[in-house]
Amino acid sequence: MQHLLYDIVHVTDYDYQGAVSVSHHLLRLEPRQTSRQRCLQHEFRIFPEPTVVTSHGDYFGNRAHFIAVERPHGSLSITSRARVAVSPAFLPDTSETPAWEMVRARCRVDRTWAALEANEYTHASPLVPTSPEFADYALGSFTRSRPIFEALSDLMTRLQADFRFDPTATTVSTPLADFHRNRRGVCQDFAHFLIACLRSIGLPARYVSGYLETDPPPGLPKLRGVDASHAWVSLFCPGIGWIDADPTNGCYASLRHLSIGWGRDYGDIAPVRGVLIGGTQQILRVSVDVTALPPAEESGPTMDTDSPADAGSADASGQ
Amino acid sequence: MLETPQASALIRPAGMRRTTGGLPAPHDECFGEDGRPRTQWASMIEAIERLGPSRLSARWDEGLRIIREHGVTYNVYGDPQGRDRPWSLDPVPLILSAAEWRILEAGLAQRSRLLNLILRDLYLGTQRLLVDGFLPPELVYSNPGFLRPCRGLPVAGQVLLHLYGADLVRSEDGGWRCFADRTQSASGAGYAHENRKVVSRVLPDEIREVSVRSPSPFFRNLRSILESLAPMGRENPVMVLLTPGPLNATYFEHAYLARHLGIPLVEGADLTVRDLRVCLKTLAGLQPVDVILRRVDDSFCDPLELRAESVLGVPGLVQAARAGHVTLANALGSGLLESPAFLAFLPAVCRHLLNEELMLPSLPTWWCGEAEGLRYVTGHLERLVVKPAFGRRRGRIWFGHQLSTADKARLLDLIAARPQEFVAQECVLPSSAPVWTPAGFERRSVLLRAYVATDGADHAVLPGGLARVAASEDDPLVSMQGGAGSKDTWVLRSGDDDHEEALAAAPAQGTSDRRLTGLPSRAADSLFWLGRYTERLEQRLRVLRCVLGQLASDTSPETSGLDDRLGHLVAGIGLLPLGPDSTPARAVAPAGDTEGHDPEAPPSDLSARVLDWVYRFDGPGSIPDLMGRIRQNAAAVRDRLSGDTWQILDRLVPHPEVPLARRSIAHALGLVQGLILNLAAFNGLAMENMTRGPGWRFLDCGRRLERGFSMTALMTAAAFVHGAPTPLLEMILDIADSGMTHRQRYFASAGWDGVVEVLVRDVSNPRALAFQLSALRNHLEALQDEFRVGVDDRWSALVEGIQGRLRSSGSNPAPPEPEGFDRHALIALMETCAQGLAGLSDDLTHRYFSHTHPRVS
Repeated sequence: MQHLLYDIVHVTDYDYQGAVSVSHHLLRLEPRQTSRQRCLQHEFRIFPEPTVVTSHGDYFGNRAHFIAVERPHGSLSITSRARVAVSPAFLPDTSETPAWEMVRARCRVDRTWAALEANEYTHASPLVPTSPEFADYALGSFTRSRPIFEALSDLMTRLQADFRFDPTATTVSTPLADFHRNRRGVCQDFAHFLIACLRSIGLPARYVSGYLETDPPPGLPKLRGVDASHAWVSLFCPGIGWIDADPTNGCYASLRHLSIGWGRDYGDIAPVRGVLIGGTQQILRVSVDVTALPPAEESGPTMDTDSPADAGSADASGQ
Repeated sequence: MLETPQASALIRPAGMRRTTGGLPAPHDECFGEDGRPRTQWASMIEAIERLGPSRLSARWDEGLRIIREHGVTYNVYGDPQGRDRPWSLDPVPLILSAAEWRILEAGLAQRSRLLNLILRDLYLGTQRLLVDGFLPPELVYSNPGFLRPCRGLPVAGQVLLHLYGADLVRSEDGGWRCFADRTQSASGAGYAHENRKVVSRVLPDEIREVSVRSPSPFFRNLRSILESLAPMGRENPVMVLLTPGPLNATYFEHAYLARHLGIPLVEGADLTVRDLRVCLKTLAGLQPVDVILRRVDDSFCDPLELRAESVLGVPGLVQAARAGHVTLANALGSGLLESPAFLAFLPAVCRHLLNEELMLPSLPTWWCGEAEGLRYVTGHLERLVVKPAFGRRRGRIWFGHQLSTADKARLLDLIAARPQEFVAQECVLPSSAPVWTPAGFERRSVLLRAYVATDGADHAVLPGGLARVAASEDDPLVSMQGGAGSKDTWVLRSGDDDHEEALAAAPAQGTSDRRLTGLPSRAADSLFWLGRYTERLEQRLRVLRCVLGQLASDTSPETSGLDDRLGHLVAGIGLLPLGPDSTPARAVAPAGDTEGHDPEAPPSDLSARVLDWVYRFDGPGSIPDLMGRIRQNAAAVRDRLSGDTWQILDRLVPHPEVPLARRSIAHALGLVQGLILNLAAFNGLAMENMTRGPGWRFLDCGRRLERGFSMTALMTAAAFVHGAPTPLLEMILDIADSGMTHRQRYFASAGWDGVVEVLVRDVSNPRALAFQLSALRNHLEALQDEFRVGVDDRWSALVEGIQGRLRSSGSNPAPPEPEGFDRHALIALMETCAQGLAGLSDDLTHRYFSHTHPRVS
């Protein structure tokens, strides 16, 4: 199979209490081009119509859209639609990868562009502190001279055993140390924790925001992270590049992982960030649909996706 | 005199006073090794000897008076007494020779160029400094000061650092070293300017005699530079100074600079981004802003893209900068270079970028994030000062030679855990200069902050700068937050300087054309509330004065029953609650103007409770509370109040420490009287000194509204009090300062009809309700004309309605009561008026002052 095609519909609805007189939002929703992914089409439908829509490439190379609604509004609906083609990710034989200490050393001393870029991701960032505790957890897998991706696989296996996926355990603002202590959380916590472990031992790891196709093929276990954006981790190794790994599901990125973009942590690549003037409270509803398109030559019914319970809101957003 | 034996000299060489751990002796600013005054100091020392201690003292009292009068203050964080502490200045300046300054000037300009090139490479360029190994990547990438959203933002003229400050110390060898670069928004230049103003009035002859370079051309240059930064070369750009607000340590300086540069002082909430342009909210609508001189740290400037929790910034500001519609001075992200760790790399970077040696060297600095630096620091702790590498303000500073063994071990552990977060500098003893104290001259460590302004092509250096002196003789730290003082800095003139200054001064002459005339909405809001609170306080004080007066004169309150009625009256207007006897007055806050009350409950021990109110009560609506609100609102419009007005406000001091024994009715009466006179002076100044623009109208609107409210409350309370009316009515006339008016008109003791006529209906009595309404109506109409806020005449209708009700109540006398007066009609009318006024206040607020804070989602 060369590649797979997906349609993504990501709807973000805000209902405000009390009119918002002006709102500014920064959107990071357009899937970026990567070595294994092409974004073929992307469009926004935004209601009410923004006064300003403009886009720029951000510091990390993601596409960011700035929108401003400059008249009173009681709600805001942002629909992002994308068609994406994904090819299989390159996965090295993990036992053949370099010793992890070598990667750490290279990222410290190399001054190539790639190494400098990686250096950026070896430091603590606003949502991902580094600490001896995280390092200790990592060193349980990153034993002496162990091939870096073998160690990563082992670390993810331990994470799967030690931590539980639990959407009720954390919120966007839960500190990472709490997740470490309580051992429950969502994909964002899993990703931040894995990044913290890797950076605490000096390895370059970044946070990837994206989607996961969730319709389980027969016989395979159902993956978690349904019904919303997903997040995972990318680890750099000189000579190999960045390899995506999904700690929530304990696997490497597959054809079902679709990237929007990346940064040091969630804060750099939050899908929607906004500042409101006026209004008192807001109710947020998000729905995400990822639909695999049938290969062109085959005919047959489209595979059903696991639509989220509240995704029946297709009426909104000025279709 | 130099010939006199040193024993009688006021200023003496420092000598070998310090013997700390075998460190070399500090440099003496005014005396050479031979004990003779340095050339540039000779005439100053002579002048001080000539003056002698008593005349110097007297002259300096004058200086301190000017500081208080000018309201020069500095806020100390976390100190309840710290708000608006008077600025601390020493009469004797730090004196630098022309030759020495020429060298420093060149070194400062070079550093400014160098730091700008570094910022340019890191934010606009390809980060060659990292690729080529001149700066460690960690220094940038793990630095919280590196603002990623600001990389690649367009920058006018490729200049990111327009105003640069260098913190200098003179080391033991007599050479100046830079120990910190201020690239965020260097504070203090305004204080330096003010210092010169004060000292030149205390030592006018001395300044002329030695010919000191003036700071003024620098500020004219700064203004021209800011003008030149306007996007797309716009002529006569609109410029603002963005301040974090009155709570900031150096707010006085923000207001001072804004006034001096002739640009509005604004807070984040005064600005809004519309259509990718930063606009100032004024009463005349939104006015696009071209240049922002910011005193808000860069990371706080935009909650959308930078620190989300910031309420000091402007949402969308980064995007407006990205669109190239606004220039920030300094550019967003410039704070990065405040990290002292950069100092360790400057010599090599200077050779690389400028092909020059660093002329003004840094204090030797080692960054622990590098193996080499770490090794040196751990090996030489006792001769180093260890600081946070990324310049976090609250980080601890460790003086190696003072550390106990245990502390040393602890510090080494901390460094080992996070080496990149520590930087160490060589410990120098700063040079010492004489500081005048009540006990004569003392030797204190002195540091100098110097300033450079640039448009990229030319560099203007402020001659001198802000000299800071340690708080005590043995204090190694010179921190304004820690109580340090300041000095004026004199750079002596040489022949060439005159010419240069004349040149610098020339171009800025004809640039006073200011496009921006609108009053910021927030300023209007503050003026409105300033009017309301000063009036409210005055009203409270008038009631207190009246009650205290009665208590002082009335020897037998039981017989007259007046005490009782007084109690009901003050309770009725919400000044004092009619509490059960055991409840202290302060337990129930007399908050509102129309507090609910129980007219049947008897007041108890009125005088005790009134005294408690005067001396101790500090809840909502109390004297200290209202004074706090007055100060807060006055501070927010500080750039619009005259120096005299500010002085009056400065005299409003709540609750002076009065020993219990001295507290008495008579004493309280004096206290209250003093405050009333000060408020009268404030109102007088506002009337006489403010142009009759919208600002004055809002101030007066606030006052009229409040006075209207007070009158309705007073009349209502009086109408509720039963019993013989005359003494009570006379008190009411007294409270309203209208006893004279009444007597002139009626030649009789007070009756209800006369009082209602004088205090409610009389349009010519400035204390009467009708007068307030008519004044308000004038203001509202004028404001509507000026701002064309629709053609809604709702206000006029409202005012007219109230006036109409008053008239009809007079012409239709109600059925006579025992005193021949219908109290209930009056109470109902007052209620209507109060509601109307409240509606008016809401409407005004809604219409003109909409400046809700943004929320982050």
